[in-house]
Amino acid sequence: MSTPSRRAILSLYQSTLRTSRSFSSYNFRNYFVRRAKDTFRTIQSETDPVRVQSLYSEAARDLAVLRRSAIVNQLYGGWRLAVEDQKPEMTRADN
Amino acid sequence: MFSRLSRATSRKASCSKAQIPLQFCLGRRGIVQPSGADRASVVDLPSTYKDENHFTPRSDMLGFKLELPQREGSLKEKTRPIYLDMQATTPVDPRVLDAMLPYLTDQYGNPHSRTHAYGWEAEQAVEDARKHVADLIGADPKDIVFTSGATETNNMAIKGVARFHKEKKKHVITTQTEHKCVLDSCRKLGEEGFDITYLPVQTNGVISLEELEKAIRPDTSLVSIMTVNNETGVIQPMKEIGALLRKHRGVYFHTDAAQAVGKIPVDVNEMNVDLMSISGHKLYGPKGVGAAYVRRRPRVRLEPILSGGGQERGLRSGTLPTALAVGIGEAARIAKKEMARDHIHINALSKRLIDKINAQVEHVVRNGDVAGYPGCVNLSFSYVEGESLLMALKDIALSSGSACTSASLEPSYVLRALGAAEDMAHSSLRFGIGRFTTEAEIDFVVQHIINTVHRLREMSPLWEMVQEGIDINSIDWSQSQH
Repeated sequence: MSTPSRRAILSLYQSTLRTSRSFSSYNFRNYFVRRAKDTFRTIQSETDPVRVQSLYSEAARDLAVLRRSAIVNQLYGGWRLAVEDQKPEMTRADN
Repeated sequence: MFSRLSRATSRKASCSKAQIPLQFCLGRRGIVQPSGADRASVVDLPSTYKDENHFTPRSDMLGFKLELPQREGSLKEKTRPIYLDMQATTPVDPRVLDAMLPYLTDQYGNPHSRTHAYGWEAEQAVEDARKHVADLIGADPKDIVFTSGATETNNMAIKGVARFHKEKKKHVITTQTEHKCVLDSCRKLGEEGFDITYLPVQTNGVISLEELEKAIRPDTSLVSIMTVNNETGVIQPMKEIGALLRKHRGVYFHTDAAQAVGKIPVDVNEMNVDLMSISGHKLYGPKGVGAAYVRRRPRVRLEPILSGGGQERGLRSGTLPTALAVGIGEAARIAKKEMARDHIHINALSKRLIDKINAQVEHVVRNGDVAGYPGCVNLSFSYVEGESLLMALKDIALSSGSACTSASLEPSYVLRALGAAEDMAHSSLRFGIGRFTTEAEIDFVVQHIINTVHRLREMSPLWEMVQEGIDINSIDWSQSQH
């Protein structure tokens, strides 16, 4: 099989990111977004076409798992964490 | 209307009380008059009144307020504390749950059924999981025995080996900083007539190899030393210990690696380990499952605790929980794949936490070896009581020690074994950082910790004395003498 095109990789990256953002739980959402960025940076910096092919197919398999996991997480997760409810710090302008 | 009326009557009553002599007043009527049912009127709350806590009890509730039932809609309003107690347990990775779900729904076969497809597919899944666990620790799949958790594995290994060799060998060595289940298994063996040596540790939590070598006797059957401590994150020099024990024939080496597997590289052949305990829920897997590594070449013989159908090489009879075994297998597979990435992330967060706290709070002591596992940071805040610090931090889920002893107010025996003074052992907090912890959470926690520590110290008379330059240890608190 030939190496995936740049367009195919970007499209996979986009759907992985979108799926990662759809997790309701704060920690899982952040982790999978971080992981997606990391994985696709690795693919970007990889020059060996065989490695790119295997990383691409692995990422595609992971996406299927991630899609199902995100649905389950939306059903049962979703409590807000204290860190998400922080109010932005206000500073006085006139001093 | 009712309130105006009652205010008027009370004013009248107070006036009359001042004028009329007390005796007369008491004789005729009481100071407090009962009001009849006709005087009482129910005043409805105005329609503009909006308080979430307002709750009208029904007549059959006897006036008690009940917790409101959880509704779908109220899910978003409640905030949950930040979880920073990864040594107690870790959240189940969504990918692990995804691997488990088929075996909780349609593929419900008994993995020991050999006569139909339901059994075969379950058996295949369990064997795959066994292979993943074996790969993570560099073992052969046939060496892995699934159990119900690290506690069961520790019991099985320690009691099993010691009892199997009880005719000739009656000595077991362990350390003072082990987990409760190891110490308690050893205490039980002590009651059965075995000799137990509890090795002391140095002030950084690491055991000394000379002490271990001195403790070995000709009738020693087992040495049990944990890889990563659950309270301080201290990593023991397993390779050196393994090499030392290899020189003594017939001494088996058991390690409780529940906190180590999946977090730091572990290899049973490099470490020369004969038995190892693994826990599922410490590596982002489900609770209720663990694994034992029992070496087959050279063979380790042990007496099983459970007798029955002879599953798992006869060491642990009972039907395997397919879904849980698949869960620990998938967790092991992910841990192997993600270990390097997780380690970098956890290391960075741990450094961030320690540096930020050290920069803004003084008199903070880190317990245990600095080169230990970065995901477990045990800090003692002097002149602050650990439990009161925990109470004040309601938005953060932390622990002052291991979860098993978190109900008691006793200072941690692990910190005492490290030589920490009683007051420092009382003021310790354990921060457990894991795969899913974020930088924003660490910053939030640091900010809250700093504020709370400063506030509690302001209140403390001890802190005031320290600020004045009085040495706390020089004070004679009992004033009976002199």
